[in-house]
Amino acid sequence: MTGPTVGAGIDAAVDAALATVSADRLAATVTTLAGDAFTGRRVGTPGNIAARAWLASQLADLGAAVETDPFPVRAVPDIYAAPTVRFDDGTIARGLSFGREVSLHLASADLGTPRRGALGVAGVGEPTGRWLVVPAGMSLFDAYGHADGAAGLLLPRNVDADGWQFTMLAGPTPGPLPVLTLATVTYHAVAEAALAGGGWFVANAPIRRADVTAGNLHGRLRPAAGDVDLLLTAHFDGVGDHPGLRQPAAADNASGVAVVLEATRVLAAGLPRGMGLSVALLDGEEVGALGSAHHASRLAETGADPLVVNVDGAGHLHQAAAVEAGGPADGLLALLDQAGRHTGVPLVAGPVASDNRRYAGAGFAAIGIGAGMAGYHSPADTPDRVEPGTLTAIARLVVATGWLAARTPAGHAADVVTGKPAPAPIGGR
Amino acid sequence: MTVNESPGGFAGDPTAALTVAGSTGCCGNPAQSTNIALPDPADSTGGTCCGTPAAAVAANSCCAPAAKADAVATGQGCCG
Repeated sequence: MTGPTVGAGIDAAVDAALATVSADRLAATVTTLAGDAFTGRRVGTPGNIAARAWLASQLADLGAAVETDPFPVRAVPDIYAAPTVRFDDGTIARGLSFGREVSLHLASADLGTPRRGALGVAGVGEPTGRWLVVPAGMSLFDAYGHADGAAGLLLPRNVDADGWQFTMLAGPTPGPLPVLTLATVTYHAVAEAALAGGGWFVANAPIRRADVTAGNLHGRLRPAAGDVDLLLTAHFDGVGDHPGLRQPAAADNASGVAVVLEATRVLAAGLPRGMGLSVALLDGEEVGALGSAHHASRLAETGADPLVVNVDGAGHLHQAAAVEAGGPADGLLALLDQAGRHTGVPLVAGPVASDNRRYAGAGFAAIGIGAGMAGYHSPADTPDRVEPGTLTAIARLVVATGWLAARTPAGHAADVVTGKPAPAPIGGR
Repeated sequence: MTVNESPGGFAGDPTAALTVAGSTGCCGNPAQSTNIALPDPADSTGGTCCGTPAAAVAANSCCAPAAKADAVATGQGCCG
């Protein structure tokens, strides 16, 4: 793209603000949120609530008027014990490691006590009392049709680069049978034994659903008195620890929260008068972006019209940060582009499947920024894999975007980008 | 003023971010920039949302109810 000279339209105050972004402070926030005390921050858990309280204190320290906005979340999956799983191929029995070789499917029924049964294949022979290997290509729906009286179902699943079966909380509701997922190599060994007509399997499936109360944190730093009201958002919840498996959720999304807090600190200290600034640290993203859905609905009811910048993943920038936009965000994108060129952060249009979509869906100008994760929803999402350089780069990007928005007369973006009159306000529903 | 030598900003038209492919759901797999090889969302334990945005909005949900029902029945992930 042919653009103006880097830095055009940006005064020295912006650079002074950018210079105050602290990599140490960003990293410290990630480390704290990913710590043992917050237990992976799954919605409704004591660790999540403790994290929210800590974040409320952080926002208050920044001078924000802080509110907690509760909302209900139903049927959050909770693996309440490490599954006990053993497999005998007819010659030797061994245990399977939870999280790597075996995990629980979200469609699984709860089975607390281990159940032993011979191995079988769904659709082949008598299912009663057997653990059935579901052939590749057979849907779970079809497998149920072949599983009357079965002990449970065994599905194949790939693992990530670290060998983990990553955790998801948003998914199908429980079905009638225990359903386990086996890493591909394990699956083939079990399937081979099943096809040979030998071997047995013993497993439980300790998974339950909990109806919980979630809570968004809102902090208002500056009133929305002028043309521009900037809302910075990031979700603070994670998929949560499993018994015996810490899942720190450092990149997803302690990193995004750290960026938002740092950008807020910098912007609140120096933005021009008249520009509104608020923060939403969102709960319930991992169960379906429910916190942002709740917040977007509330904003719409009040007639608010913020420009939304959401950060989900600022841990491992590779080539370019992904940007997805929705709503009337043309002007906001122009500002982000200018900010990217000024701070040297490359950007690329790409999916950011996060809270930004809820705000955009409600009609607000919203962009999501995703700058990478190493170790997605797994024990490998640790603070040491969150790059300080990425945290700093994205924080600077957000700060520069905020400053540009503040310096854009009459809520128009184009003058700082092209020098020509803008076709539309940068926000506005 | 600090001027970065490396080119930042969008390499192409920024408004392409308004029409990102595969953005029908509100949760699921991480952004493309994660560089993680993830299982196919259509795999047995996938995590994508489902249905059209219009149908999801109409139902005030991540997912279109009919598409979600299909996804649940087939064991695919579906949020909201």
